[in-house]
Amino acid sequence: MRFNVLAAAAGTACLLLSPLALADKLDDIIASGKLRCAVVLDFPPMGSRDEKNEPIGFDVDTCNDLAKALGVKAEIVETPFPDRIPALVSGRADVGVASTSDTLQRAKTIGFSIPYFAFKNVVLTKKGTNITNYASLKGHKTGSVTGTYEAIALEKDVKKWNDPKGSFRAYQTQADVFLALSQGQIEATVVTSTVAAATVKAGKYKDLVIGGDAPYDIDYVSLIALRQEYGLINYLNLFVNQQVRTGRAQELNTKWVGGALPELTIKGVYY
Amino acid sequence: MIETDFSTTDLLFMLHGAGVTLALTFWAVLGGTLLGLVLGLLRAVSPWWINAVLGAVLDVFRSIPLLIQFILANSFKSILGLDISAFEVACVMLALYTSSYCTEIVRAGVLAVPATTRRAARSLGMTWWQDLRYIVFPNALRVSLPTWTGLTLGVLKDTSLVLWIGIVELLRASQVIVTRIQEPLLVLGICGLIYFLMSFPISRLGAHLETRWREYD
Amino acid sequence: MPADRALRNPRDVSAMNYTFHWHQALEALPAMLAGALVTVETALLSMLIGIACGIGLALAHNSGNRLARGFATTWVETARNTPALFQIYMTYFGLGSLGIFVDSYPALLIGISFNNAGYLAETFRGGLRAVPPTQMRAARSLGMSAPQAFRLIVLPQLLRTVFHPLTNQMVWAILMTSLGVVVGLNSDLTGVTQELNVRTFRTFEFFAMAAIIYYLITKFVTLASRLVAARLFRY
Repeated sequence: MRFNVLAAAAGTACLLLSPLALADKLDDIIASGKLRCAVVLDFPPMGSRDEKNEPIGFDVDTCNDLAKALGVKAEIVETPFPDRIPALVSGRADVGVASTSDTLQRAKTIGFSIPYFAFKNVVLTKKGTNITNYASLKGHKTGSVTGTYEAIALEKDVKKWNDPKGSFRAYQTQADVFLALSQGQIEATVVTSTVAAATVKAGKYKDLVIGGDAPYDIDYVSLIALRQEYGLINYLNLFVNQQVRTGRAQELNTKWVGGALPELTIKGVYY
Repeated sequence: MIETDFSTTDLLFMLHGAGVTLALTFWAVLGGTLLGLVLGLLRAVSPWWINAVLGAVLDVFRSIPLLIQFILANSFKSILGLDISAFEVACVMLALYTSSYCTEIVRAGVLAVPATTRRAARSLGMTWWQDLRYIVFPNALRVSLPTWTGLTLGVLKDTSLVLWIGIVELLRASQVIVTRIQEPLLVLGICGLIYFLMSFPISRLGAHLETRWREYD
Repeated sequence: MPADRALRNPRDVSAMNYTFHWHQALEALPAMLAGALVTVETALLSMLIGIACGIGLALAHNSGNRLARGFATTWVETARNTPALFQIYMTYFGLGSLGIFVDSYPALLIGISFNNAGYLAETFRGGLRAVPPTQMRAARSLGMSAPQAFRLIVLPQLLRTVFHPLTNQMVWAILMTSLGVVVGLNSDLTGVTQELNVRTFRTFEFFAMAAIIYYLITKFVTLASRLVAARLFRY
């Protein structure tokens, strides 16, 4: 008799506790009431700070939208470019809304959502360097943020050109690259067209000009999460889809970037 | 006057960072000193083999760059899946680092009390604990305190390394502002001034204690 | 039902949701050792500069010249009351805005040397104070010239006093070179490790390896200095 009661109690406990066994990151976020997004804040207009040092930008607004959809509060965790994935892996952030290019190398470590934005890359240089297109970067001092999509491509090309006067320098943050460029430590860098336009317009760094397009493939960026959090990644995919089809993505694009939202699909392949 | 984009909000942002610096220093020094007291006393009275093992373990904290200690602690905490903030990780690591130096300071202080004095105290009928409290402690304190203030000063400056694991303390706050307004000299100058204002009283106190108590040696 | 955050993935029996990839770290060992060489070179160089400037500052502090004394005090107090990282930062960014372009390696070297000089100035001041002035007077009265007296009488005694602090400062310098990575240096041990980290995200394995290398370097330096001291101060 006693044994049956015990068994029943154990069975009920297991049933009640079973959601615990299947708790994943998505549940954790909703339960904790807080969504920590890794965002890059030296990359306008996707992420930067206003005069009150508050985070603003396309990525910041996207993070806020995501938090609202989940019904939790958004918390912006600032990460320089090389620190986005370490922040996720080390648990400092739950998702990364940080313009992360969806490379296969990174996909070995973290999980990508479907693309939520796409960039074209351009050459950014200073007045007087006579760099008007990508090919003329040969023989010049170049630099970029270590580990980024553009940096890997640029470094490969600099090595291929093998010009004794040419060089490539890796920096720890985007801000460092702009500073180095404006101070003359490097003569040119390759960045997304959006940040180039925003930086030239803001005028904080003197004499920066855009020196032509970079012949890289379109740089699709996604939201990132831990590789094994399938529940969260599926949610993020639906979130991106909803952002576009409700028109919110275009709204943010008009506010921060201007023009039409870039094409986010690849023709001829399902995903 | 001087045209600058540096505003009062920015200054408050930096002072907030300075507050984080001071909080980190406080917890690290508190934890480190308590641990150092226990371990230092242990090292001063233990037989040689316990001493050697303890010394070797603590030596590790002094032989690896603090930056790397932070990085390792942070990544290890996430491998274990612990849910503690980077601030707490920094406090723990800094406390361990402080304790490794504090152990040496306490040990030197305790050993600086002449054995004859201690034996005299015991022969007067004091228990081991009474000897520790009334004889060893005041003398050891006199010897150790100047060095200890130097250690506190060192910890205050070492908090600047936590920017690498994402904590916004004074130096990181300055970096944020420099990124925005591009006036590195001004912002970093103010940052240095704040560090100076935080450190100078401590270092002066240490020097003052050192000169005042040196005569009694 | 509130989710228990600590019970992240009960599918894994061990609490660790991470597989160590040590072989990657071992493969990178040659690159890391090359970085370690740069680290030691930088530390040595910064110590030499630091000692030279430190002695200069100590003498300036003891001299009667008010300007020299003020300069020395400013240097020493700034070096001792601000973080080393701040000094490196200031060199890297601050000088740049004045038009002097400093790359990350020179910035690190200047920053560490500045710091070393500040601390060593105090060490040398203490050391000079520890050698009684009677020694100098006695040497002069025996017919030695001032430089001779300094070299043969004062310096050996000075060396004995400052040797231990000098070793400590050398160990500090080695550990301080790791700060180069914050201003983008990628040729020293920490810089190389960070480069590898950024490409593979295997933070723990690579930095654990770097930590072991640093430990071995500092232990070696401490041991070597103890041997040198035993030999030098034998009598």
